[in-house]
Amino acid sequence: MNYYLALENGEIYKGAAVDQQMASAFPEKAGEVVFNTAHSGYEEVATDPSYFHQIVVMTAPMQGNYGSTQNDWESSRLWIHGFICLQLQNTKRNSSWMQRLVDHKVPILTEVDTRLLTISLRSQGTPWGAVVCAASEKEALAKAKVLITETQKIDSDWAWLVSRKEIENIKGSNSQGPRVAVMDFGTKENILRELKSRCSEINIYPSRATVSEIERWNPDAIMLTNGPGDPAEVQDAVETVKHFLGKKPIFGICMGHQILGRALGAKTYKLKFGHRGVNHPIKDMLLNRIYMSSQNHGYAIDEKTLPEHIQVTHVNLNDQTVAGVYSEKYNCLGIQYHPESHPGPHEAVELFNYFVTVMNKKKVNANPSLLKEQTC
Amino acid sequence: MAKLPHLKRVLIIGSGPIQIGQACEFDYSGTQACKALMAEGLEVILVNSNPATIMTDPEIATRTYVEPLKAAYLEKIIEKEKPDAIIPTLGGQTALNLALELDKSGFLKKHNVEMLGATAEVIEAAEDREKFRAILDTLGAKYPKSEMVKNFEQGLKVADTLGYPLILRPNYTLGGGGGGVAYSPEDYQKMLAQALHESPTKEVLVEESILGWKEFELEVMRDSSGTFVIVCSIENFDPCGVHTGDSITVAPQQTLTDREYQEMRDEACRIVNRVGIQTGGANIQFAVHPETSERVVIEMNPRVSRSSALASKATGFPIAKIAALLAIGYQLDEIKNDITKVTPTCYEPSLDYVVTKIPRFAFEKFSGSKDLLTTQMKSVGEVMAIGRTFQESLMKALASLEKNAEAIPHVEFDMEKISYPNSDRIWHVFQAFRHGVGIDMLQQMTQITPWFLEQIEAIVNFETVFKNSELTVELLQKAKRFGFTDARLAHLKSFSTQNIKALRNKFGVRPAFFQVDTCAAEFASSTPYFYSTYWSKPQGQVLPLSDKKVVAVIGSGPNRIGQGIEFDYSCVRGVKALQKLGYSVAMLNSNPETVSTDYDTSDSLFFEPLTAESIQETFSVIKPVGFIAQLGGQTPINLAKNLVDNGYKLLGSSLNSIDLAEDRKKFAEICRELNLLIPVSSMVANLTEALMNEGKVGYPMICRPSYVLGGRRMEVIENRQELESYFERHKEFISNKNPCLMDQFLSGALEVDVDLVRGKGWILHGGIIEHIEAAGVHSGDSMGVVPPQRLKEEALAHIEKMCGALADRMQIEGHLNLQLAIKNDEVYVLEANPRSSRSVPFLAKATGIPLVDIGIMAQMGLTPDAAELEKYQWRSIKNVCVKGVVFPFKKFSESDSILGPEMKSTGETMGRAETYSEALVKAFVSTHISLPQAGEAFLSLRDKDKEPLLPYLKQLKTMGYTFSATKGTADYLKQQGLDCLSLNKVHEGRPHCVDHLRSGHVQFVINTTAGKHAIEASFAIRRACTDYSIPCLTESDAAEAFVKALENSKTGQIDVGHL
Repeated sequence: MNYYLALENGEIYKGAAVDQQMASAFPEKAGEVVFNTAHSGYEEVATDPSYFHQIVVMTAPMQGNYGSTQNDWESSRLWIHGFICLQLQNTKRNSSWMQRLVDHKVPILTEVDTRLLTISLRSQGTPWGAVVCAASEKEALAKAKVLITETQKIDSDWAWLVSRKEIENIKGSNSQGPRVAVMDFGTKENILRELKSRCSEINIYPSRATVSEIERWNPDAIMLTNGPGDPAEVQDAVETVKHFLGKKPIFGICMGHQILGRALGAKTYKLKFGHRGVNHPIKDMLLNRIYMSSQNHGYAIDEKTLPEHIQVTHVNLNDQTVAGVYSEKYNCLGIQYHPESHPGPHEAVELFNYFVTVMNKKKVNANPSLLKEQTC
Repeated sequence: MAKLPHLKRVLIIGSGPIQIGQACEFDYSGTQACKALMAEGLEVILVNSNPATIMTDPEIATRTYVEPLKAAYLEKIIEKEKPDAIIPTLGGQTALNLALELDKSGFLKKHNVEMLGATAEVIEAAEDREKFRAILDTLGAKYPKSEMVKNFEQGLKVADTLGYPLILRPNYTLGGGGGGVAYSPEDYQKMLAQALHESPTKEVLVEESILGWKEFELEVMRDSSGTFVIVCSIENFDPCGVHTGDSITVAPQQTLTDREYQEMRDEACRIVNRVGIQTGGANIQFAVHPETSERVVIEMNPRVSRSSALASKATGFPIAKIAALLAIGYQLDEIKNDITKVTPTCYEPSLDYVVTKIPRFAFEKFSGSKDLLTTQMKSVGEVMAIGRTFQESLMKALASLEKNAEAIPHVEFDMEKISYPNSDRIWHVFQAFRHGVGIDMLQQMTQITPWFLEQIEAIVNFETVFKNSELTVELLQKAKRFGFTDARLAHLKSFSTQNIKALRNKFGVRPAFFQVDTCAAEFASSTPYFYSTYWSKPQGQVLPLSDKKVVAVIGSGPNRIGQGIEFDYSCVRGVKALQKLGYSVAMLNSNPETVSTDYDTSDSLFFEPLTAESIQETFSVIKPVGFIAQLGGQTPINLAKNLVDNGYKLLGSSLNSIDLAEDRKKFAEICRELNLLIPVSSMVANLTEALMNEGKVGYPMICRPSYVLGGRRMEVIENRQELESYFERHKEFISNKNPCLMDQFLSGALEVDVDLVRGKGWILHGGIIEHIEAAGVHSGDSMGVVPPQRLKEEALAHIEKMCGALADRMQIEGHLNLQLAIKNDEVYVLEANPRSSRSVPFLAKATGIPLVDIGIMAQMGLTPDAAELEKYQWRSIKNVCVKGVVFPFKKFSESDSILGPEMKSTGETMGRAETYSEALVKAFVSTHISLPQAGEAFLSLRDKDKEPLLPYLKQLKTMGYTFSATKGTADYLKQQGLDCLSLNKVHEGRPHCVDHLRSGHVQFVINTTAGKHAIEASFAIRRACTDYSIPCLTESDAAEAFVKALENSKTGQIDVGHL
């Protein structure tokens, strides 16, 4: 038996399966094939709901080096539909990352020529593909086709698929801090951790929460989280956010930023191959500095469609795409990358402070110790 | 903000002679910075005393000064050139300390010279360990418990509180100089005295041991707006306790979680900001506890460094260039990434490969010195290799060391060799796995992170699989992906290497060549910087990127004593010359410290082991019209035959010409044919044969095993007793297959180095360097002077004529280097090298003749314009140039500083002046030999030197120096009417002369001696000089030169001049 990553365009990459996933034990799955260029942080990537239904190609060749810690998980489960790399350590020490992937039925493909694959993804965009076990390339491609069609049948509102379905209340550790409503499009744990440390209380709502559900709690501010998929397919949220524009301070991250953009009247579009890594330079005109950011997105806001009163305050210096918008009029801020990092550099965490102090004018009493804390 | 508008002229200080801890990586960074600044339209004034560098090539800067790197000389240059600013961060510790000195004295301020890149405050905040620790305290960063010790008594108290083992780190020294690990109070007391002496501020940080912690380095950059990036993270294979320059290191870091790594990154950023680094590169070292993950800061360097050179090569991010541009006012987002051409420089490189660096050592050269690695750096060079996996890169790096074609040969299993860090430990770790030793035990003994040990274990396990399995395509593919060399696989299967290669070709198991692109393929790039890997499909052809014909230049591999930066100079110069002739030049090398491995030096760069296997694979995808083997020292010469046999065209001198030079028998024949004298010589396989031939050769003679580099195991033998002892000590290296050469030793002869270029029907003489020491000192270790001071015009003409005849007879096309000895007006030919040599860059700088460029013309079969050749007359040079030599004896405790036929020096300098004596002063001063203005000279002379030295001793007396001497010498001096304090020899009881030396009474020493017994008896004298930095002259000719220099230096006059 052979193991393949087969792309919808007919390209095929051979790899090796790990012992625990041989033959019938191989969990075949389909998804959008994306690459990530971070050196470390495979656990954070695999547990980030934004990677829902994606087959992730790690360009760093050595994976699983430090095992698995679970402290660094961004949700309680693995969301990816495939882990593709050159070499995966199967250490007998500690807990092995390979074992975690196996436990969560994530297909693993190692010994893949990830560089050639990445070059292909970068030039053709991110296609769908499937990780399959087959006797021949022909069989693999046929299997993949079926699997892809099958998988694509799911609801196109991916944020809804990963979002909490019940409202969840969490007490914050800063009693002076604001009460923040979080719209969960597939939030990373670390957004919640960063909020928790700065807020008195947070209420986490499903992605399709109604205006009245949120208004009933009367939050000081609203946070829109990251999440998977196409922002244009997310149901209800744009309308909900529109309602709160100008009424409550709003901070959107990644998918949240895109939803905010759409609520403001802008359009979103799919990037050729997205930004996934921890080395993307950002020009931050709000904080007035340039720093490295952690990124994971396939869509972006189209600058030309933004209303005039919206400032583009953050720019990705690699390709000049919109990385952040701010409206003084509506007191809202959208950030395309991940100020909560995990994985990646911490410089942008300052934006959480901006949210709870500057934007949240009514409640300036944020946790003073946190405000002094600067990553560097 | 763009370039600072007021800047016109910038001064760059180089790092001086190559020494352990400060080597050619600073030539790389300095050259890169100069080029970047010149491209910005600035005028660059460059000062470096090292003529072997590429940076001192006159084309690199606006003005090039080959002058001593001492404040007095720098002041003269600044007065003359009036630079607006100085960038002190590019020339290692030497440049930093020098800039600091000029700043402190107020000189820079007085002359309105700005410090760019790092101010004095920043340098001090980072380098002064007490200040640095105060900064760490304010940031809450941890560091090992320690105390700054300022005197011996305080040091003893500190040791009691901290407990053993202890780490000593003298303030402001380079390469951990004078430091080390003390395991016991006895070690400690000895080391403390030494360390206090080594620190220019007489301060030593005594630190609790963090032996066994994991060690990391971050290479960072910051611009003046505060943008901060990590260019590269580096993880040490060897745990704390081994100097990072002596460690095997891996990039990027492999075993930290993202959380741990980001916390380290944050801390690095806070430190850089607080130390106040405004712009440029810095390096911060951390240690992480293997279990608790507790992190401490070890140190930081506010400048480009050895690690930043490595990081640049590992990532493709040109740190020195960017640091220079930031220093003159640019911001990171204003500079485009050279490699992708579209993204800005404010990014962190992402690697889709693994880089391994392995140091190369030279312990065997310093007998008496234990092969033990500590916090004081001892390696003399390094290799780097790139592979897709750690295993592939490690194995490629081991092959790159050029020690053994198998890369991981069997070694005699010795657990002791695992129990402490030493230069061979890595091979013993492999061997231990072969013997079934488990990871846990090895981890306990070595404290190497288990992840690394697992990687090695998997390689060794595969050896068994390979040995016992049928040789299929898959198996061979797997083996090559582990990084096994064909030679090792052949050994495992008891095949020939040729067999494995043939099988690989048949199966199509061939490497692919991947680009180093800084971004893990995220963006397209066209940078022709490649490495090979078996983790992809072979592409058949990588080049051409243009339609030009490709010529390959093979570099010189890791620096070692005897083959260093001089050859990189030749390579780089050769690349440029070939480019001018319209070729696309492919550079092959494995040494990350060099300019030749800068990706924009050549048209394409292949970072590969310089082994027959790797070069053949590279050639098969670049399809060169020919290759150049004359520029990279002995490495490419040794490879030439194999490459020719495989169908590649050797440019220039044929294999036959090379053979005539290398095969002593054939060489002797052609010398006889041309009526040239050579020393009487005999080849013997054992002592019996030696005794049969002793009459023919006569005493004194030089013995050496054949096939040696840099004079290994070469000794002057004075009598039969020593001959017997020689064969006893070296018997394992002498056999029928590897006979011993016994050569007549031309005692007292004058030696010269000759370099020439011959083409078809023409010859260009590059010059004749006259050695200052008499025959018997290796040419790399002896001081030299051009033009010769003792040889007459007619002798020089005669030498040129005979060398020309020899070159003609050998049908040299390209370079020929000859070593000759002149005794009683007769000229003997000692050695011929059919290649560029150590002396070529020295001569090129001294005479202005572009020897390498002309050499390339000869190798390409071209004839330069007759008028141009006519122009190059080395004898008409105006200045006298003296070569100074730098030795690493300080780093090798218990090693003897006496000079002999085995080369021991690491670097050279050039003293350049109108007169011989002034050039001597500069040569001495630039090699850190002080010229004391008054005080006591200690003498211990062998009989035959007493009379010839007498006039110089009398001169010293006139100049006001006093004398002390061992009894025999003292008696002689008194007889001659010179006052002299008579001292006991060591074996005559205390207080003896060494006590006297170590008590600081003596300013310099002349100690000439001969014969094994006498040498051993006087060892303690020379060692005391090494430990206390007392100038020690071990040859009478050198002593004469020293006296001349002393006399000149008393005038106090300092002149400087540019090339």
